[in-house]
Amino acid sequence: MTHAQLTALLPVILLAGTAVALLLVQAITRSHRVTAGVTLAGLAAALVAVTRALPQGATPVTALLTIDRFALLYTGLLALIGIGLTLLSFLYLAGRTRLTGAYYILFTLALAGGAVLASSAHFAAFFLGLEMISVSLFALAAYRRDDPAGIEAGMKYLVLAGVATAVLLFGAALLYARYGTMAFAALGTAIAPGAGDPLTLAGIALVVAGIGFKLTLAPFHLWAPDVYEGAPAPVTGFIATISKAAVFALLLRLFTQVHLREHPALFAIFATLAIASIFAGNLLGLRQMNLKRVLAYSSVANMGYLLIAFLAGGPAGAIAATFYLTAYLPALLGIFTLLTALSGRERDADAIADYAGLAWRRPVLAAAFTVLLLSLAGIPLTGGFIGKFYVALTGVSAALAGSPAFWALVGALVVGSVIGLYYYLRIVLAFFQRTPAGEEPAAITRRVPDAAAIVLTLSTLAVLWLGVLPGNTLTLISLLVEEWFR
Amino acid sequence: MTIVFYLSAAVAVIATVLVITRLNAVHALLHLIVSLLAIAVIFFTLGAPFVAALEVIIYAGAIMVLFVFVIMMLNLGPHAAEAERRWLDPAIWVGPGILALILAGEVGYLILRGAAGTTGAAIVGPQTVGVSLFTTYMLGVELASLVLLAGLVGAYHLGRRRGAGEDGEGERTNG
Repeated sequence: MTHAQLTALLPVILLAGTAVALLLVQAITRSHRVTAGVTLAGLAAALVAVTRALPQGATPVTALLTIDRFALLYTGLLALIGIGLTLLSFLYLAGRTRLTGAYYILFTLALAGGAVLASSAHFAAFFLGLEMISVSLFALAAYRRDDPAGIEAGMKYLVLAGVATAVLLFGAALLYARYGTMAFAALGTAIAPGAGDPLTLAGIALVVAGIGFKLTLAPFHLWAPDVYEGAPAPVTGFIATISKAAVFALLLRLFTQVHLREHPALFAIFATLAIASIFAGNLLGLRQMNLKRVLAYSSVANMGYLLIAFLAGGPAGAIAATFYLTAYLPALLGIFTLLTALSGRERDADAIADYAGLAWRRPVLAAAFTVLLLSLAGIPLTGGFIGKFYVALTGVSAALAGSPAFWALVGALVVGSVIGLYYYLRIVLAFFQRTPAGEEPAAITRRVPDAAAIVLTLSTLAVLWLGVLPGNTLTLISLLVEEWFR
Repeated sequence: MTIVFYLSAAVAVIATVLVITRLNAVHALLHLIVSLLAIAVIFFTLGAPFVAALEVIIYAGAIMVLFVFVIMMLNLGPHAAEAERRWLDPAIWVGPGILALILAGEVGYLILRGAAGTTGAAIVGPQTVGVSLFTTYMLGVELASLVLLAGLVGAYHLGRRRGAGEDGEGERTNG
């Protein structure tokens, strides 16, 4: 392994090394502070390693991983969100359980799996990265063993993720049977653009189904609401942010190298998935009374929007999708921070009714929460708006460039956003409910710990900054993504 | 030669269906072992005798024995002896026995024919597997170890005995 390869791989090595270091730390001390501190230090080191690896171009590290700027960009994003989630996990676990060691080990392993996914160039790495995430997450979802809902969530995730992985493996096996390789680049050259033989199409379709499960695209979204609701708030945050961003990075990379999304059959599959996700997410979210379930359906819809940018393809599509995710992740992180900070020990503050009167009692929190929700809804002055704008822009230019099917996709985006607005605003409306003094929900009276306040402030500012001054970030993203298309 | 493949594939499918439909865990396990053996035979016909051996040793051997042990231990008690006598009822082992016999016949046939690789693909021996594991797929081996680590830590946490004051009375922090 050369020096360049080691530098490129260092973020992944550091993340995996943190997990191993945490194991050793457990032998010395079980202190929660020390464990969380080591995790934070490991993530910060990985973040530094990402910046050190950025100047060198795409570096293949064995046949399995190709670490290019795109992979590093996503790894950096994951590590940043991971730092926020570690702080949340610390707040959440403190006072709820004494068994904290395993949590951080699984957390870092899942994060390392995300980094592997973002840089994988081979189905073997894809599978291993996905399994690192799934195996860690089902244990994390069931981490509070006294909570039946958590156990149920873990169980559902275990079974359904297992099925999804099996489907994915079958697809990869079909592709291997047809082309004799599992490397993305080799597949990309072997599969002629528009190749339409059944084995190739079936293989790719099965792979897409496996990915669709992880991204909670309709109709593979059925697990999402239950798992989101049952898992502890920081773990739900992990599932909603890191695991999705990593899998989406992989989807982008796979289909940038394998030119099949233009194939009529696959295009139809993706377009159907996108439209179904947008409508299923937005319509099913309307009547939910539980904030976590609303977020689950909102993520279904948001993944549908992302798929439009993905389908448009080319540099513009990749940039739009990446920017969308960059704006989407901090908004979710902020919401989960609030959820964690205001949760009681018995149950998470995940009912919309828990936030009744928040605006009168805690105006600053309510303002931040509103900004984050509006960003998810895509209202101007927030990052979510710019993201959605760019997605619509790529969709429209693809439609003008001669594929009228994109009009339907963009139409679904517009209609879906309007429907979605209803349930985001319903939460905001709850903030302004008048509750008689002394009868307000317990959640809104809780003190927000300093760490949560910092994460909340930073993510809200990030969302606003991306909404008001998106230029720098867009330039940065296009610099990092364009490496693929040169 | 193709017939060997189809026969073991059929055995694998039948055995796997029986795994799912049996209500008694031990019966299901017997069928699962047969299913794994059938897949081992398929590997053998595909020219991968080393992988076939691994499949038998690791899956049908070690993991299944562990599995059976756990189930037996869970069943300890006055009913255990009675239950074990019932498991030895011919009606239970005849089915898997016939399926296993088919597989044994296939292996015997293959050995008598004296050729391991049969479907035209090159024979992949232990050396080739070892070399690719420690060069091309070295990183994959490392990543697989991380997957196992996650599984281990997760199982340890979920399976550990519930201690007093585990939940709630944790180290108080107000960070």
